[in-house]
Amino acid sequence: MHPLNWAIVVAYLVYVVVDGVRRAKGTRGIEGYFLAGRNLPWWAVGLSVMATQLSAVTMIGTTGQGATDGMRFIQFYFGLPIAMVILGVTLVPFLHGARVFTAYEFLERRFDAKTRSLTSFLFLISRGMSCGTIIAAPAVIFSAIFGWDVVWSVALIGFPTVIYTMVGGVQAVTWADVKQMVLIVVALVAVVVVLLLRLPVSPDEALQVAGAAGRLRPFDFSFDLSQTYTFWSGIIGGTFLMLSYFGTDQSQVQRYLTARSVNEARSSLLMSAYWKIPLQALVLLVGVLVFVFYLFRAPPLLFNPAHQRQVEAAEPAAFAALNQRFTAALGEQQAAAHTVASLGGSDNEPTSRAADQALREREAQVTTVRNEALQLAARVTGQPARDVNYIIPRFVLDELPLGLAGLFIAGVMAAAMSSIAAELNSLSTATVIDFYRRWFRPQGTDAHYLAVSKLATGVWGIFACVIATYAVSLGSLIEVVNRFGSFFYGSILGVFLLAMIPRARPSGAFLGLVAGMAAVAAVTFGLPSVSFLWHNVVGALTVVLVGVAISLASPPGTHPAPGNP
Amino acid sequence: MDSFRRTLFRVMAVQVLTLLALWLLQARYAR
Repeated sequence: MHPLNWAIVVAYLVYVVVDGVRRAKGTRGIEGYFLAGRNLPWWAVGLSVMATQLSAVTMIGTTGQGATDGMRFIQFYFGLPIAMVILGVTLVPFLHGARVFTAYEFLERRFDAKTRSLTSFLFLISRGMSCGTIIAAPAVIFSAIFGWDVVWSVALIGFPTVIYTMVGGVQAVTWADVKQMVLIVVALVAVVVVLLLRLPVSPDEALQVAGAAGRLRPFDFSFDLSQTYTFWSGIIGGTFLMLSYFGTDQSQVQRYLTARSVNEARSSLLMSAYWKIPLQALVLLVGVLVFVFYLFRAPPLLFNPAHQRQVEAAEPAAFAALNQRFTAALGEQQAAAHTVASLGGSDNEPTSRAADQALREREAQVTTVRNEALQLAARVTGQPARDVNYIIPRFVLDELPLGLAGLFIAGVMAAAMSSIAAELNSLSTATVIDFYRRWFRPQGTDAHYLAVSKLATGVWGIFACVIATYAVSLGSLIEVVNRFGSFFYGSILGVFLLAMIPRARPSGAFLGLVAGMAAVAAVTFGLPSVSFLWHNVVGALTVVLVGVAISLASPPGTHPAPGNP
Repeated sequence: MDSFRRTLFRVMAVQVLTLLALWLLQARYAR
C-alpha cells in the first residue's frame, strides 16, 4: 500500500487513542466509567449503537456477500425497526428507569440472584469468545493481504482499542464510536462514488447487468424454514433476534443506559430503526457494484493474495493452465455483460432474455474455473479456501485512487474497533457488577471498583486478542461456542419478556430459561435444516410458556411485580 | 401512549418507504 494510505491509517489510529485517553479526565467513579454518569446525548448514543452492531465483518464479509449473492441478505434486518419500537415501550423504560448497570442486574430485582448470575455468565462466555472472532476476522485478512504474521494484525487492531477502552471507559468508547461511524459511512459512500465513476457503463446499465446476473433480488417471499434469508424469517425471526440483541445483550444495553433519559434512550434506538436498512443496502450495493466492475475488468483468479502466491509457487503449471482458462472465460463473460448493458432493458423481450441467459451461463463458467482454483488452493495451503471475504479488500487495494484505499482500511479498522471496544466495556461491567461486586466484595470503595474495572477491561482485552491469534486453529471450538451461544440468545429474551408478566415467579424464570435452551438444542440437533433465525423464536416462546405455566402452578408469593420505573 | 403511536407510525412509514424503494429496485432490474 502507498505510504500516503498508511499515513491515513496511522493518523486515524493515533487520533482514536489520544482522543480516547483524553476522555478519561472526565470520568469519575464506576458510574462515570461504565455509564458516563447517564448523561450522554441521544444522537451520540444512537451512533454508538449502530457502530457497535457494524463490525469489520460487515465492511468486508457483507460487501463480499453482496458481490457473490446479491441483495438477499438485506432481509435479515427487516425485523429491526419493529424490534426497536417494541423495546422502546417495553424493556428500555424498565432497564433505564431501574438505574441498573447491567441488564442482568434487573433480573435479580425482578426474580432472583441465580437467574441474574446464569444469564450474565452466559453473556460473558459468548461475548468473550465473539470478541476474539471480531478481532480475528479482519486480522486474518490483513495478514493475508499485507503478508504480516497474524499476531501483528491482531496487535494493530486490538492494542489501541484495549488502551482507549481501558483508560477512557464508556466516554471514550461512545465518542470514538461517533467518529468511527462517520468514517465508516464516508468510506462506503466514497467507494460507491468511485465505482460509479470508474464503471465503463452508466449506473442504469450497471444495475441492468447486476439484475440480469441475479444480484438485485432483495425479496424472497417463500416460506421455507431451511432458507436463512427470506422475507418471513427476516420479519419474524429477525424481530426476535434483534429483540434479543438490543434488549438483552449487555454490549448494546449498556449503550442506551448511558443516555440522559428514557426518552433519549428510546430515540437512540430509533436512529437504527430509521437508518439500519438503508445503511445495509448501501453496504450490499458496494458489493453488487464491485461484482459489476469485475465483469468489465479482469479480476484475479484468487482474491486471497497469500493463497495465490502459495499456489503459484507450489503448482505453477496447474495455476497457469487454470489462469488461461479463466482469462478465456472472462473474455466471454465480458462480451455477454456488454450485450446486456447495451440492450439496457430493451422492449425486445426474447433478445433481452437470451442475453441475460448468456451472461448467467458465462458467469457459471467463470465460477467453475474459480472453484477449481479454490480447490487447488485448499490442497496446497491445507486451509479452507473461501474467497468471499477477500473480494472487497483486493478491489480497494488494486483499484481505489490514492488516499481512498487508506480511508477504507481505516474504515474497516474503525468498524472492528467500535464493536470490540463496546464489547470489552460491557464484559468488564458484567464481570465487576454481576460477579465481583455481587458475590466477592460488596462493600468496596468506588475507587477500588474503578481500578478493578480497568483491570477487568484489560484482562478481557488480552483474552480476546489471544483467542483472535489462535482463531484459525481454534476454528471448530469457536464454532461450538457460537452454536452454544445461539442456544440461549432467544431464551434470555424469554426471561426478560417473562419479567414483564406480573404473575411470573423466580422458579418459573429459572426453569423456563433452562427449558428454552433445551428446546433450542432439540431443534438444532433434531431439525438441523431449520435456519438459525427461527431458533430465537423457539427459545423465547418456550421460556415464556414454560415460565408462565410453572409460575401459575407455584403458590402465590409476595414477590413484587415490575411496576412502573 | 399517543407519543408511542406517533413514533410507531413514523417508524413504520419510513420502513414501508424503504421496502418500497427496494421493491422498485427489484421490479425494475431483477429478472
